[in-house]
Amino acid sequence: MENVVNHSSNTKPTPSSSPSGGPKGGFFSLKNQDKLHLTAIKSLAVFVIGLLITLLILLLKQAWPAVTEFGVEFITSDWWNPVEDQFGGLSFIVGTVLTSIIAIIIAAPVSIGVALLMTEVLPERAGKTIGLFVEMIAAIPSIVFGLWGLFYLAPFVRETLTPIIKSTLGFIPFFNGPSFGIGVLTASLILAIMIIPTITSLCREVFRSVPTLQREAALGLGSTRWEMIRLAVIKPSFSGIMGGIVLGLGRALGETMAVAMVIGNQPEIPKSIFSSAATMASVIANEYAEADSDLHVSALCLVGILLFGVTLIANAIARLIVWNYNRKQQG
Amino acid sequence: MSQPIISVKDLHIWYNDFHAIKGISIDYLPNTINAIIGPSGCGKSTFVRTLNRIHEEVPGARAQGSIMYMGKNILSSEVDPVDLRRQIGMVFQKPNPFPSMSIFENTVIGLKLQGEKNKSKLMEVAETCLKKAALWDEVKDKLNKPGTSLSGGQQQRLCIARSLAVNPPVLLMDEPTSALDPIATGKIEELMTELKKEYTVIIVTHNMQQAARIADYTSFFILGELIEHGLSSDIFTNPKQKTTEDYITGRFG
Ligand SMILES: Nc1ncnc2c1ncn2[C@@H]1O[C@H](COP(=O)(O)OP(=O)(O)O)[C@@H](O)[C@H]1O
Ligand SMILES: [Mg+2]
Repeated sequence: MENVVNHSSNTKPTPSSSPSGGPKGGFFSLKNQDKLHLTAIKSLAVFVIGLLITLLILLLKQAWPAVTEFGVEFITSDWWNPVEDQFGGLSFIVGTVLTSIIAIIIAAPVSIGVALLMTEVLPERAGKTIGLFVEMIAAIPSIVFGLWGLFYLAPFVRETLTPIIKSTLGFIPFFNGPSFGIGVLTASLILAIMIIPTITSLCREVFRSVPTLQREAALGLGSTRWEMIRLAVIKPSFSGIMGGIVLGLGRALGETMAVAMVIGNQPEIPKSIFSSAATMASVIANEYAEADSDLHVSALCLVGILLFGVTLIANAIARLIVWNYNRKQQG
Repeated sequence: MSQPIISVKDLHIWYNDFHAIKGISIDYLPNTINAIIGPSGCGKSTFVRTLNRIHEEVPGARAQGSIMYMGKNILSSEVDPVDLRRQIGMVFQKPNPFPSMSIFENTVIGLKLQGEKNKSKLMEVAETCLKKAALWDEVKDKLNKPGTSLSGGQQQRLCIARSLAVNPPVLLMDEPTSALDPIATGKIEELMTELKKEYTVIIVTHNMQQAARIADYTSFFILGELIEHGLSSDIFTNPKQKTTEDYITGRFG
């Protein structure tokens, strides 16, 4: 897109083409200071990467017996039976991915809507007040969410939400089945509520960074407020919104306590949205204290590694989406 | 002489308690270029932004008085600002093409907003408007590139083309060349004299030579008041007010 010979403008040289002529020589010359900073930053980066690798290696060492015992079957089998020392983690992978995806489907539109409300619709002060409340939700410890979910959300799901879903989507088997209030749906709802602040805050920052000039450009062409929001605010914010969603997804994938309290902890692939299930994080939290056999401990460590892997894959997919979108934008 | 297309009467504008425009009355004739000059902070932007009610976007801004256009006071609540802005377009000080849109999309977005979907019609309008904005030859081979990949001067002409695409009888321009180099400025000035065959242009400029070169009429503002309004030839060669003379000869400001 650059490198086009352009006769109409650019009579001035671009600043980047002229090398900066700072003071030369001396240990504390600008050049040496730059070098020092660079070295410091580089060693920090190496340290962080080293830490990550060490952590993984240690975890892998613990998990090794399970790897040799079950191999690939560990992720293709959902047979989890500590009594017989049989371990397959598929049901947890399904549980984690399913609850997180449902949570994102609920939380993303709500968060984007609330962020737009704060930045584009409400007067500044009202927007800031709502922002304060949103941040307060983010500060609630997850165990408190778990308690609340157990005592209020679970009964609500059982008595109010279940009949509504069954009467509208019940013809799909996945939205039909016995509902005790504890299970996938309740866990997903809790997760959604927990990640709404994360996504909302990020989206709000992204929307705020859109210059007023862009909004006025849209309005000046005779767009309605909603059209202006779509054109000048949402469209250029796509990668930022995705960033917020990924952050929320990361939190949802790894969330432990609140989920463990409301999902039912059933090591089975859920048959419906109302079934009890378990996630990778919840099974580790629930079983590691009472794991008697070494193989059981090892299997739980392997679940931990898989959780890390799933999070990485989710991040990679999101990056791919953003990259693909940006490429299309460039035409 | 023909009827004014826009007639401003006793216009007052406030930002909360601050009285920014203090009773200005000006008539604008169709197919003319009208410049507004004056020291910075005198209310030039405030004034033009009220002419298509984009001033409403600033919290605390309000206007009083009348701005007659097509037989209606545009400040009254029965006029829909969305409709109004399709009639009275605006080009801003800094070029502001939509960064997520291509050159083509930027040009026709106003039409698309009005519901035009026909691809060949859109292409036709894009070509016409880019030609009117003297940009066609430079971009015709890269219409799918982002609008922001152009140089500043080209971006500003793209913004002009974008405004023209909805065919507004009146075009407001707030210092459209202040961010541009002399060559790009020259192109846009040339373009404006071309545009006045079909449009009425009201342009804010801090550059008095520019006003003298292109404007048929010039208004001189100080501190929210209209000091003098008249033919540019009179204002710049034979001003009636002492303040105007001081300003244009550089003894003021
Ligand atoms: N959004 C705003 N809020 C409050 N005061 C403003 C705002 N915009 C402009 N003003 C004030 O109104 C006066 C006129 O501003 P402006 O119309 O931008 O002047 P000009 O375009 O002639 O430089 C200035 O004193 C400025 O400080
Ligand atoms: Mg101004």
